[in-house]
Formats: sequence, structure tokens, C-alpha cells
Amino acid sequence: MSDLARIEARRTGPAHVVHVTGEVDLSNAQELTDAVARDVPDDVTLVVLDLTGTTYVDSATIATLFRLSSRLRERRQELRLVVPPDSPIRAVLELTHLSHVIPIDEQPYAVPSEPPEPPELPEPPAPRAPGGVDQSSG
Amino acid sequence: MAGTLPCPCVRLAQGDRGELASAESDKTLVRRRSAAYARGHGGVQAAGQLPKMTQGVDAAGTSGPVGVPATGRAEATRRHSGGTGATIIETSAATSTSTRALRLVGIAVAYYLGARLGLNLPLVGNDVTPLWPPTGIAVATLLVAGRSYWPAVAVAALAVNLPISATPLAAAVTAVGNTLAPVVAVTLLNRVGFRRQLDRQRDAMAIVFLGALGSMLISATIGSVTLVASGAISVQQLPTAMAVWWTGDAMGVLVVAPFLLCLPLFWEQPRWPTVQWVEGAAILMVATGVVTVASLTDLPILFLTLPVVGWAAWRLQLRGAAPAALIACLVATWSAATMSGPFEGMSLFAQMVTLQGFNASVALTSFFLAALVSERMAAAAALSDAAAELEARVEHRTAQLAAANTRLVQEIHERSAAQELLGHEEARAQREHQIAETLQRSLLPDRLPDVPGVALAARYVPATADLQLGGDWYDVVQLPDGLIGLAIGDVAGHGLQAAATMVQVRMALRAYALQDPSPPQVMLGVHGLVAQLPVPEMVTLLYLVFDPSTRRVRWTNAGHPPALVIGDGAGAFLTGGLSPPIGVTVDGGFTEQTRVLEQGATLLLYTDGLVERRGVSITEGLDRLRREAAAAPADADLESLCDLLLDTFLVEHHVEDDVAIIAMRPAASVDGELTLRLPAEARNLVQVRGALRRWLRENGVPETDVNEVLVAAGEACANVVQHAYSAQADAGDLDVEARLGDGGLEVLVRDHGQWRPAADRGGGWGLQLMEALMDGVDVEQTPGGTEVHLHRRVETGVSRE
Repeated sequence: MSDLARIEARRTGPAHVVHVTGEVDLSNAQELTDAVARDVPDDVTLVVLDLTGTTYVDSATIATLFRLSSRLRERRQELRLVVPPDSPIRAVLELTHLSHVIPIDEQPYAVPSEPPEPPELPEPPAPRAPGGVDQSSG
Repeated sequence: MAGTLPCPCVRLAQGDRGELASAESDKTLVRRRSAAYARGHGGVQAAGQLPKMTQGVDAAGTSGPVGVPATGRAEATRRHSGGTGATIIETSAATSTSTRALRLVGIAVAYYLGARLGLNLPLVGNDVTPLWPPTGIAVATLLVAGRSYWPAVAVAALAVNLPISATPLAAAVTAVGNTLAPVVAVTLLNRVGFRRQLDRQRDAMAIVFLGALGSMLISATIGSVTLVASGAISVQQLPTAMAVWWTGDAMGVLVVAPFLLCLPLFWEQPRWPTVQWVEGAAILMVATGVVTVASLTDLPILFLTLPVVGWAAWRLQLRGAAPAALIACLVATWSAATMSGPFEGMSLFAQMVTLQGFNASVALTSFFLAALVSERMAAAAALSDAAAELEARVEHRTAQLAAANTRLVQEIHERSAAQELLGHEEARAQREHQIAETLQRSLLPDRLPDVPGVALAARYVPATADLQLGGDWYDVVQLPDGLIGLAIGDVAGHGLQAAATMVQVRMALRAYALQDPSPPQVMLGVHGLVAQLPVPEMVTLLYLVFDPSTRRVRWTNAGHPPALVIGDGAGAFLTGGLSPPIGVTVDGGFTEQTRVLEQGATLLLYTDGLVERRGVSITEGLDRLRREAAAAPADADLESLCDLLLDTFLVEHHVEDDVAIIAMRPAASVDGELTLRLPAEARNLVQVRGALRRWLRENGVPETDVNEVLVAAGEACANVVQHAYSAQADAGDLDVEARLGDGGLEVLVRDHGQWRPAADRGGGWGLQLMEALMDGVDVEQTPGGTEVHLHRRVETGVSRE
């Protein structure tokens, strides 16, 4: 259902920031990531998916996020996620080890004060994410 | 005719005449008579007084008969008809004074010369004259010029008689008789409608009997009596003298008058072509030759003249016959006077009888035959005219018929064009109807969405009387946070326009409700849309938002019949939250009302078609609805309830207005358990989560547990959606059951399909997540389907509301 989630994209400095609001599941995940990928301009090096307003994700969503990341990487564009610490989707992200592939920030994206770094090298899957993603449930 | 000549016709000439009466009598009287005559006989006679008439007068004796130019005649007619009689008298008298005198002289001279000619043709010495031309001259000239010219005749007659009468008195009396006879003749002829063209039998009869034989008795009687009175003859001689006088005058009229009357015809009637002039000349020459030869030879062959005269009459009518007759008579009379030819050696009596018989035969033959032929020709011309007219009428009628036919064809074309137009119009109306119907169907789906937590049923019954589609509609919208929007409305009007408005209102309502479910806000949005429609419509709209987790309903009602809540055998209307219909007021001021539904209560929304009846007040209708709905069996499901209401309130085959109904009943939690069954479709996953979320919250499960249980159960359901029914076309059912017990939370996800081998897209993570988030996960695969049992210990310290 497209009513389930809404996306809102805008250019912020060198980044293309997309806010996702609502629930993402099997029914709309593919459609949503396709829409995100389609709207990314060619001249940005960073794509930020802000999932602050997202209340539900499932494994199908995780799978599409992986695919989105690799598509963007082929275009030499980085994908990052924004997920607050108290987000209800936090558990799923951690359990699927998404942060090993896609960097996850807790704070909304802000334009860096210094000039952006030169483009980084293609990043192989990191063994461990540096963030404090360390909560498990029994 | 011959019988009218009983005695020796001897003209007693010289010495027998009486005195001449004074011709200079009352001129005023003359004028008055003339004017009166003109009044009585129209323009032809009046025209005789025009100045122009006199210019053609020939003093040599052809005198009187002068043609009347058509313009002059018309002018006289106009003048006559336009003014009073007195005006005409003075005008004609004034204008014709000089010319009239000229004509008087002309007539008098002609009369005198004619008399001299007559006196030169005596049979015996100078005394017996068989032909007296002056009477013919007098009759002809008075006929053409008018009787007012009688003084000329009188003067001339006196002048003729004075030298040959015994006394001036005798001459005068004789002159009176000679004047009176032609005047009476003309009067009688005019009285019987004589036409001087002599082209009818009756004209011929008139001039013979009235003009010649009748009127001349006057002059003969007066003349012969005068002779006796003056002692010129004895009383015994009176009959003879009278007979001679009479035949002489009559012959003068018969022979001379027609000739003179024919002269004007040469310019009055159609001109002769050269051929006819040649023929006329030939006839005259032949006639002259024949009669001359017959008159000179001793053989009695005068009758040979008759065929020639007949030929002339037949070929040229009066214009040929009269001159021929005149010539023949003059020659014959001259021959008799000179005692030559057939008359040689005859006695006076034989001479008289022969000559008068000949003259009478010639005269009568000529103008009777001429009149006959003229009549025939006139009849032929009339026939020809009639034929021509008939032909013209036929042509005219044919043209009329053709025109009518053309009109008819055109009308048929127009009618068929109109028919075609009508057909187009009908087709257009039908198309519109189809479009409207399609729109209506899209508005009113047969099947309402499966909304976990509530049961729904709806009906739409179009009006039977009006085949047009109505403006009734309803909608159910699933909103964020598990809210359910219910809308029912009625757009004023029917057909495509109303249906189009319905579509827009429905779409607008959905959009506004998803943005902000608050009823007043939604109403405001819809109000703004309706106000901006090209054709603003009046829309009644009842919009409710139901929260299954709290069973709280909030609504705003814009002019729609109130929703009915049924429960525990009683009904109550959701009054309040009212505003006028949308589109009526400029700015909508909308308020909302709330109420919490009792457990197991049923909410009923409907349109006015259900309760409105002719002759029944709306209050009565609403009361009846409340009674009937409350009386429905408590265990009846919503479908049965809808059917029951329609059966109760609608007369079959006669639905006056559209009817729409929505019934909604919150799903009852049976012993704290949740039971869901939905089609295994991706779009229903959110419903499952919503229902499960509500159930968990209602049962006091902490929020952190709720989220993780939702993920785990969601993964199990997603697996069903993805894998259970991939081998078949239609999605099967997805069953979800949840219960809380002493051991914690149990969630069962069941399908009835065949799983494909695992290892699909992201499939690995599904089970991984379930196992990570739950305390126990069991998957049971059977030939009839797969069951996933999820178990988790939860704290359920908070009891249900």
C-alpha cells in the first residue's frame, strides 16, 4: 500500500536526503527503494535515508536496503541511514547486521562545516560497525 | 328580310320634301344629353368628344367614324370615373368646342353629299331613288360620334329637302323625320348593347331590325304623311310612297352604315398583314369585276356576286364584306338606274324588286356571314385562350406539385436528420449513463476491504423508477494508527455530473482523511473542494472515524441523516456534530461529536432513500428504522442485518430513491483471543499488524514487547504471503490467532498451501528474526498447510479496559 509510507527527498549540501515516514514491509519495500534510487541526482556523492519517522521494517525491507546500497555504490554514491536510538525498528536493523554494510547514524544529517572529504574508496563489507549498536534481546 | 319589302320601293325624291326645322335649337340641351349619354355608356362614347377625334375628320364624306386612340380613351375613362358628372360636361364641352364645330360641319357635308349621290341614282327620272345613303351615313356617324351631333344631320337634311319640297314647312318636317330616324336607331342600338364591330349575330340582327327596318319607319311615315299633307301626293298613294321611302332608307342603312362602321376597325383591330391587304384588294377587284360584268350582260347572273361577298365575309369579316357589299350594291343600283344589263327592258316594279332583293341579299349575306365567322373566330380564340389558360394552370399546378414534392422531400430529409440527431442524443445519454454507472461501481465496490478488528457490510440499491444513477455513495478508509474512516453521502442530482462530483468528493475525502483523520478537518477539506467545482453541488456527508482500540467514534454530520447505534435490543441516533450540507454555506463551520460504542454494538449508516417515503414524515421514518433495526436478532451478522433492513423498508421493484447502507461492528474479542483470517496478500500485512497491535495493547502488553512481537509475527505472515501459495493463482487464506495465557503470549500463523523450498530472497532473515525476537519458534509442515507457533514470555499486568 502506498498509503503505508511516504518519502520526501531534498538536497542538503552535497547530500541527497530522503525522509521515510510510515511502515515499510513486503508490500511496499521494493517500490519505495526503487523510488528513492530513481530520484537520486547524478551529481551527489552521498545519499542519506532518514528513517526517523519509520515505525516498522521487516526482513524484506532490509533486503531491499542492501540492494539499494549496492546499486548506489556502482554509481560511486554512498548510502547512509539515520535511525534514532529509541526507534522501534532498531532491533531489526541490529539483528540483521545491516550496519555492517550501510553506515547508520543516530543524528539527522547535517552539512559538514569543512569541505567534504575526497571520495572514499569503495568500501568492502566492514567486519564491525563503529557505532554503538549493541543491544540484544533474548 | 325579303318579306319586309312588300311593295314597289320607290324613293320619292325631289319636290316631296317638307320644310326644314330649325337646327339651332337648345345647345344646352344638346350638351346635357351628350354628357348624360357619356355617363351611361362609358369611355367609348365619351371619347368621341375628345378634341383629338376631330383631327381625322374627312370632309369628303367618310367623316364621323374616326378611330379612338387607346390613350385618349383611357384618359377619358379615367377622367370620367375620377370626377363628377358636371365636371365632365364642362370639360368635354370646353375642350371640344372648336373641333366639335368642325365635326358637325363634316357630318353635315357627308350627309349632303350622300344625299346628292342618292338623288343621282333614281330609277325613274329624278324622282325614284332605290338607295338613300344619307341615312346610313347618319346612323354610322351618330353611332361613332354620339347622338349629340344630330344638328348636323338636321341641318344637312333640311338643306337637301328644301329645294325639293313643296314648301319650307314640308322640308322642315321631312328633315325632322330624317333626323329623328337615325337618332332613334342609334338610341335603340345602344339600348340593346350593339357593337359597331358587327362581330356577333345579335349585332347583325340589331342593325337589320332595329337600326334599318324599325327606325326607318319613322322617317318614312313622317316623310310620306308630309307629302300627303303638302298635297304632293294623294292619300291613295300614301302606302306606296311610304313603302318606297322606307325601303330606300333601310337599304341606305344596311349598305352604307356597315361600310362606314368597318373603317375604324382597320386601326382599332389588329392590323392586317400585307397578305390580307392583297387578299382584300383582290376580293374587291373580283367583286367589282363580277358585279360589273353581271350588271352589263343581259344574263340574270347578279347572284354570282353573292359567293364573292360570302368569300370576303369568310376571309376578312366585316372589313372585307362591307366594302364588297357597298360596291356591289352601288354598281347594281347604277345598273338599274341606267336600265342596263339584266335590268334592261324590265318594268319599274320588276326593277325595284330585283334591285332591292339583290341589295338586301348582298347586305344580309355580307354582315351575317361576317358576324358568324367573327363569332366562330372569337369562339376559337376563346377556346384557344381557355386551352392556353388550362395549360398554364396545369403548368402552374404542376409547378406547385413539384414545389410541394420538393418541400416534402426536404421535410423528410430534415425529419430524418432530426431523427439521427435524436439517435445521437440518445446514444450520448446512454454513453453518459454507462460512464456514470462505471464511476458508480468504482465508488461502491462490491466487496469492502477486510479490516481487522471490525466487521463491515454495505449495500447499494439504485432507484427503479429513475434509471439514472443517483448521487448516493459510501466509503471505508483505513487510516494510520489503525483508525477506520467511514463516509456516506449524497450528491444532489443524477447522472454523469453527480457521479463525477461523487468521485471527486470521495477522492478528496480519502486524501484529507489520510492527512488528518479529524472529522472537522476532513469536512473542511471537502468543503473547499466542492466550493471550487465548476458547477457547485449540494452534498450531504456524514463522516466518522472509529478507533477500534478504544471503540471511540468521532463524527461530523453535514446535513445527512444521523448514524444509528444498535445494541442490546435498543437503538440510538448519533445526533450532534451537525452542520448544513456542504456547498450550501460559503464557509463551513464544522464541529465534531464523540461517543464510545458499547461492546458488540453495531453502527449503521444509511441514505435518506431508506427512510423517506411519500406521505410519511422523516421523523416517523427514522423511528421506524430504529425500531426495526433494534428488533433484529442479536446474533445476526451484518450481511443478514442489511438484507433484513432492505427487505423491510424497500418495496421490491419500486425503489423511489437510491439507498446506500453501511453497517460496522467492532470485532468482539472472544475470551481474550484474537482470531484473524485474511487473504494472504502483501497489502494485508499491515492489517494484521494493526489488529495484533491493538489486541496486544488492549491486553496490556508493554510497548517494547509489542514492537518485537509485531516484527516476528510479521515475518511469519510475510513468509506465508511469499511462499505458501506461490504454486497457485489465487492467494489463499492467512490465519492469525493470538492468545495470552499463563505461559505467556502464543501467536499462531497458519496457511493452507504448499511451501516451496526455502532460500528465497532474504528468506534467511525471516526465521532468523523470529528466532531472535521470540522465545520459541515452531514450524509444523503438514500436507494441509504450515503452522508457525511463536511463543514469548510477556508481562500482562495491565488488564483490558
